[in-house]
Amino acid sequence: MGLLEFFKRILSDFDASHRESAAALTGVEVKELENIFALLLLGSFIGLPSPPSFLAVELMPFMERELKVLNRRAKDAGDMLAEMAGTIGID
Amino acid sequence: MKILFFTGKGGVGKSTMAAAAAWQLSQKSRVLIVSLDPAHNLGDIFGVVIKNGKKKFTKTLFLSEINLKKLSREYLERETDVLSSTYSYLKTLNLDSYFSILKYSPGIEEYALLTSIEKTIRDEAGFDYIIFDTPPTGLTLRFLALPKVTITWIDRLTQIRRQILEKRYTIHRIRGTLSSEKTILDYKEADDDILKRLKKLSDNYHALDGALRGSDCHVVVVFNPDILSLKESKRLIEGLSDLGLPLRLLIDNKVTEANKEMAEYVEKQMKGMAQDVPLERIHLAKTLLDGREGALYDIRESIIPDSW
Repeated sequence: MGLLEFFKRILSDFDASHRESAAALTGVEVKELENIFALLLLGSFIGLPSPPSFLAVELMPFMERELKVLNRRAKDAGDMLAEMAGTIGID
Repeated sequence: MKILFFTGKGGVGKSTMAAAAAWQLSQKSRVLIVSLDPAHNLGDIFGVVIKNGKKKFTKTLFLSEINLKKLSREYLERETDVLSSTYSYLKTLNLDSYFSILKYSPGIEEYALLTSIEKTIRDEAGFDYIIFDTPPTGLTLRFLALPKVTITWIDRLTQIRRQILEKRYTIHRIRGTLSSEKTILDYKEADDDILKRLKKLSDNYHALDGALRGSDCHVVVVFNPDILSLKESKRLIEGLSDLGLPLRLLIDNKVTEANKEMAEYVEKQMKGMAQDVPLERIHLAKTLLDGREGALYDIRESIIPDSW
């Protein structure tokens, strides 16, 4: 690998890492929104007022990802504060 | 095509008035009268047996009775089948029958009713008039409210979905070509299945809502000259106005010499609630009071305004 290539690689990795950290918080927001979406649709499970049940039935076939997110969020719910602190970058 | 709903308390004569209106309109136009009342008596009124849901009475008049129980059952069976086939492995454990509990889901009857109205309006566009004889007040108001409630939910869910897609797009842009993620999530509105489905549902419900609120929809409230009927009709009129549905005619049915005073009082109260709505008074036939055989009501040739 030439010196030029080497520096190009360093710059590109540097760029990628910055981009990743910039995208991370938005990524968390997306996951939370997906979680809320699934929760609203299936809220009757935990006693939330829910939309007409047929609406949930109609959308269910496309909800695989949202349900996974919902499931993961439910598992992590016990330590939400640590989760948030980790996301924002507080040690 | 015009849509008429005959509503009111149970036993006030909705079906009879709807039948009279259907007969009157069928002299000049093609009319379909649909009974949504679980206690069907459309066939009895016209003196025929309605088999398989629909019957041609004259060239221009068709009768239809919708079996609500059967409809809800069919809808649920369809859904249960889908679930059972998705979870077909449960059959090996004989657990699939547990899905049958779905038939007790709240709101299913209203949904089945609304679906059948929507289907009738869509499939029977060849008629000039479709007249719906509705079930008693409570259920009627609930199913008439359903499109609005559903649209509200669909709008909110669509909004959240759009935000999700926007944020996914932002992430996609920030990461750019350097993305290490193997699967890129859909971020275009045209690619997202959930948003597509929501849009389809939204279109359907907006179309139905538009049809119900439009100038071609007429809601008729039938009542009797008594206090109970007055109170329920008041609730009905309030409900209709909350939902923004067009009340176009009041019918005071079963008026006799004996209850004339009460009829006047009830009519005045009703007019007070719906000032610009025309009111039609229908007398019980004298022959009936005398105990002789004959027509039940003195229904004029035209109870429906000519302008409809």
